[in-house]
Amino acid sequence: MRKRVFFLAAAVLFVVSIIPVGCVGGDVEVGTLQFHANGEDFVRQGFVSKDGWSIDFDHVYITLADITAYQTEPPYDPHAGVNINGKVTVSLDKVYTVDLAEGGEDADPILVGEVKNAALGHYNAISWKIVKASSGPGAGYSLVMIGTAEKDGKSIDFNIKVDEEYGYSCGEFVGDERKGMVQEGGIADVEMTFHFDHIFGDADTPMDDELNVGAVGFGPFASVAGGGKLDVDMVGLQSKFSAKDYQALVDILPTLGHVGEGHCHCH
Amino acid sequence: MNMKWNFVASFIFLLLILALPMKTYAHGARIEYTVDVTIEIVAMYDNGEPMAGAQVVVYAPDDPSTPWLTGVCDDDGCFTFTPDISKPGIWDVQVRQAGHGDMVHIPVGEDTATTAAPGGYTVFQIILMSACVIWGFAGTTLYFLRRRA
Repeated sequence: MRKRVFFLAAAVLFVVSIIPVGCVGGDVEVGTLQFHANGEDFVRQGFVSKDGWSIDFDHVYITLADITAYQTEPPYDPHAGVNINGKVTVSLDKVYTVDLAEGGEDADPILVGEVKNAALGHYNAISWKIVKASSGPGAGYSLVMIGTAEKDGKSIDFNIKVDEEYGYSCGEFVGDERKGMVQEGGIADVEMTFHFDHIFGDADTPMDDELNVGAVGFGPFASVAGGGKLDVDMVGLQSKFSAKDYQALVDILPTLGHVGEGHCHCH
Repeated sequence: MNMKWNFVASFIFLLLILALPMKTYAHGARIEYTVDVTIEIVAMYDNGEPMAGAQVVVYAPDDPSTPWLTGVCDDDGCFTFTPDISKPGIWDVQVRQAGHGDMVHIPVGEDTATTAAPGGYTVFQIILMSACVIWGFAGTTLYFLRRRA
């Protein structure tokens, strides 16, 4: 009888000693996922528009909401134009207004927020919205661009305010490195990238490139400035721009959102 | 006792037979083959223009953060490579040029990859496996106890 009890106790002890190892391992399998917003060097360092205006930004306020990263299998294809269906998701639950021009010329992308208990894996898709800010420097607008444009000795201080709202669904970051791979105890990041050369064009890119063909340039903005200043919103631009230029601006604004160099589906 | 030794002797004899070298023939023929999967991608801009000279980075599924192969597209935007079929799974190919880029995800030997994927057990499978292990230990213990009783 004692032997029987001994064998049974030994068996139970052995099994019990195995099970907790697996459970504890499962509990700690998390890492940190950071969400960055990046206006790229165009915003941080300035650039020359397709029509020769040298543009420098003091502030670029953009308001972001419903920011979610996904692990998708198969990988999300933004060209398919559908919503993201992720197996694992990590979200930021607030509305964030960030200044993409914050920091110096070599500043890092702006840290919007982070989730410290993100499940491990590759976050290969991201979605977010650009919404009108309810308070702060960009209140009432989703995007505010403040800076100076110069050409041929002429200088214009601009404050361009956009109240359009957009939603973006994007696949994996396309750039110098792969992003979004959360490992145990590690830090990974995903990025919301904004291409402002799509609005103003880029003198360093061939003029027949699709980028410059679709861009508005700064000339139309300069033409509606007065006394070296331009403080305007979309309503003002609609009344002052030519119909063609205004339509070009409306068409190009949704293409601001990217993941590195990768395009997004805008809805 | 004799039966036991007969069994052991037979087993050793069988091993010796299996270990003897097989006869070979001088003019025998032998054909070996390998199966390669060559992948060709064609990269182009939205307007249909080929991404001639674009940078290509290929990532293998076993190390998705380290480039497995780099290269450039030819004048027609084409790039060809042969993945290592011993690494089944999703092969990711990134193409970039002048601020434009895209990534394509190509399954290679996905069936094998699914079978070999580590840590892919469902909750039900884990519970079932745990129950089998517990029952195995308990059953074995009870079996020996019954014999001794």
